[in-house]
Amino acid sequence: GKELDGEPTVTVRAVNSRKNQMCFDWGPGRLLVSNEPPSNKKEMCSCPFIYIIRKDVDVYSQILRTNSSMNPMNLSGVPSFVALQDVSGLILCVISFFCRLVRVSKNYRSVIRACMEECTSVSILSAMELIWNLCEILFIEVAPAGPLLLHLLDWVRLHVCEVDSLSADVLGSENPSKHDSFWNLVTILVLQGRLDEARQMLSKEADASPASAGICRIMGDLMRTMPILSPGNTQTLTELELKWQHWHEECERYLQDSTFATSPHLESLLKIMLGDEAALLEQKELLSNWYHFLVTRLLYSNPTVKPIDLHYYAQSSLDLFLGGESSPEPLDNILLAAFEFDIHQVIKECSIALSNWWFVAHLTDLLDHCKLLQSHNLYFGSNMREFLLLEYASGLFAHPSLWQLGVDYFDYCPELGRVSLELHIERIPLNTEQKALKVLRVCEQRQMTEQVRSICKILAMKAVRNNRLGSALSWSIRAKDAAFATLVSDRFLRDYCERGCFSDLDLIDNLGPAMMLSDRLTFLGKYREFHRMYGEKRFADAASLLLSLMTSRIAPRSFWMTLLTDALPLLEQKQVIFSAEQTYELMRCLEDLTSRRPVHGESDTEQLQDDDIETTKVEMLRLSLARNLARAIIREGSLEGS
Amino acid sequence: MVSVINTVDTSHEDMIHDAQMDYYGTRLATCSSDRSVKIFDVRNGGQILIADLRGHEGPVWQVAWAHPMYGNILASCSYDRKVIIWREENGTWEKSHEHAGHDSSVNSVCWAPHDYGLILACGSSDGAISLLTYTGEGQWEVKKINNAHTIGCNAVSWAPAVVPGSLIDQPSGQKPNYIKRFASGGCDNLIKLWKEEEDGQWKEEQKLEAHSDWVRDVAWAPSIGLPTSTIASCSQDGRVFIWTCDDASSNTWSPKLLHKFNDVVWHVSWSITANILAVSGGDNKVTLWKESVDGQWVCISDVNKGQGSVSASVTEGQQNEQ
Repeated sequence: GKELDGEPTVTVRAVNSRKNQMCFDWGPGRLLVSNEPPSNKKEMCSCPFIYIIRKDVDVYSQILRTNSSMNPMNLSGVPSFVALQDVSGLILCVISFFCRLVRVSKNYRSVIRACMEECTSVSILSAMELIWNLCEILFIEVAPAGPLLLHLLDWVRLHVCEVDSLSADVLGSENPSKHDSFWNLVTILVLQGRLDEARQMLSKEADASPASAGICRIMGDLMRTMPILSPGNTQTLTELELKWQHWHEECERYLQDSTFATSPHLESLLKIMLGDEAALLEQKELLSNWYHFLVTRLLYSNPTVKPIDLHYYAQSSLDLFLGGESSPEPLDNILLAAFEFDIHQVIKECSIALSNWWFVAHLTDLLDHCKLLQSHNLYFGSNMREFLLLEYASGLFAHPSLWQLGVDYFDYCPELGRVSLELHIERIPLNTEQKALKVLRVCEQRQMTEQVRSICKILAMKAVRNNRLGSALSWSIRAKDAAFATLVSDRFLRDYCERGCFSDLDLIDNLGPAMMLSDRLTFLGKYREFHRMYGEKRFADAASLLLSLMTSRIAPRSFWMTLLTDALPLLEQKQVIFSAEQTYELMRCLEDLTSRRPVHGESDTEQLQDDDIETTKVEMLRLSLARNLARAIIREGSLEGS
Repeated sequence: MVSVINTVDTSHEDMIHDAQMDYYGTRLATCSSDRSVKIFDVRNGGQILIADLRGHEGPVWQVAWAHPMYGNILASCSYDRKVIIWREENGTWEKSHEHAGHDSSVNSVCWAPHDYGLILACGSSDGAISLLTYTGEGQWEVKKINNAHTIGCNAVSWAPAVVPGSLIDQPSGQKPNYIKRFASGGCDNLIKLWKEEEDGQWKEEQKLEAHSDWVRDVAWAPSIGLPTSTIASCSQDGRVFIWTCDDASSNTWSPKLLHKFNDVVWHVSWSITANILAVSGGDNKVTLWKESVDGQWVCISDVNKGQGSVSASVTEGQQNEQ
């Protein structure tokens, strides 16, 4: 049967048949596969099911769809993304640039945290933030020895949060120091380097059991005097190391003297503060993970650790913590790769482990701006950054509502962004006029003329099929499609002949220069103009126009009879409108028309009937024209005479 | 990385041979040995049967959607030697045209790029390929290439539209001079490339030889603006080849073996931006393939490794480089 284990692969099986085809097809962003029948049917038989599969987009695409009140831009990270591209384009001094990069990084992290509040799959998001945070510390802030440990402490404190609930429990109780979890709390605080808070706890114990007050105070002093690097501190790293060494030796002396022998808890704390591995490992449960173990270990054995030495400690911490009982999980490998400053490995592992492109695309982009990625020439994208962004953006297009976000990303992919956008944008379903206009605007803004043309043609076609000729005409004009404009104009003219009036007068009246798109369209516009002039009683102008339509050959022959018939009322007016010259022209047109009339496969009876009607019309016209000619000649003659 | 977003119960009474999404992914056409062609509206995860088209007298092998600018048009081909073109008018689907010019099963239909007009290529077991061009008013003009492949033609696929020279804006109404090409695969184990000459006749331009058994499918990759052309082919011999030609004028195509499967490979298909090739493996799996940094084709949907991410293959290539 089908296997969709939640693993990132899909295996779909087909049944053997004469023509065995496991059929499938790519849709825009989707793949469809045909599946096998239920396994209880052993015979070859129908497999009527089709599965439509799509690559997952962001973890929170669900949120974007359901929570339209929330500004989707904030949740997508797009403003950060765009801001970042712009920042890189500016010429900034180095410090300012990196400050901005850090700010963008923090923005991304807040996007992740915002999603955690909305989303159900918190663990993935939490992992994402954990990794991103570490990357920010190591790759973007590039913390040196000294501050490095402080950052790592912050990092651990942010992500191992059990302390707060434990603290609330213990402090909230009547007798905190007698609480079951009291020593757990103190230990955790020490493990996290929160020595001030630990001291406060100890003072409660001192108050509650005077017998141990003495040693509590000694321990408290030790905690208070541990040398740490603090901002604003003017000491150098060497000075700090020296001081720390002295303090460490003092702790060692207390251990040798068995000062805390009466309190196993305090003795254990002392060993922790001495960085004793065995003691630390006893606290596995409280540490809860190996990177906490790593940071605590560093805090109490090598607080001035250099970044390049991190990976030694990281690997051994992982090994010690797992103790051969379990194997590293994907998250562990990612963090290890980060501690090893192997950016490519981080990205690779993240791509595999995290089920979305958002993370790797944005992180890689950010790192690229830090110039940390070497440029590798990939076929699809000139470098890894572009490659991942293309994948991410393509994924957005597969979702009906997220395509607009995708556009921004394609814009910032210099190699293949444009062509990818061209290929994707044509596939957006144009359900509403509004959506079509949005899509067109995107294309027009980027001078994607082919796509504009194609989309307009599609819309024009749809309009014609729904008999919305005005709409069809506007779309043809926008598409600059002469052939289609001709087609639609013909329909307009045909409609006019059938019903005696024009539809969509507004449009035709206001064609403007667009009229020139096709001869037929020009004719339509001018013919309408003729009617307008007639309506406004501008007979002379109307007459000239009518004639010119025929003589300039703009009017299709098939329409000449109609035009000549339109001339009749002008010919029959009291005053002479057509001049003699014009009348001669009209006569010429009429003769032209009648002498060369082809017969298009009409039946004999129809032909005869038509002939009758036609003959009558022609006779009437000839008569009218002759009368007008006479009157015109007389009029012109007398004018000249006087 | 992927999830099923829709399950469509087509209710076909026999084997489904083809399923194709329309241009926008909103409609699904399926065809089957039960002689019917069905069309579904599959928007928003739903399935609404729009049409159940009867007209063929044998199993229907393939369906193909025309470009939406021509309206809603679907072509189907069948064992009954016919090609039927169906059209939606006023909300109902009807048979618009029937082409019965073949002496044997018609195995494959493929619409040309919309820039060329409305043109359908059909490949048949009688060895011929016919090209139907819509000339207006319900009329279709037929050109036939006889003996395109001895024994039979199994697949046809058009090259993407590329205008020779620069793409300057043509004056309205004037069509650019496209060079029309398509590829076909046949029972003579060959892939042939066909080009339309100035006089409108189709000429065999190239023979691509590499398969040792019937070619079952060919797929010409969409263009992403690079000067290379790419064709994928698969065969009864279990092999899938990727053919590339670096320059349109040089006309030398070099094959690269994607993979040798253990059984016949039926179908190959490119994603929209041509960066992933889907292959219907003889071992009855659909696998996805992508070209990595060093030009090797890597499977990116390998079940055994449990890796489904695209960049896994890419960074594997990078790993080798480092």
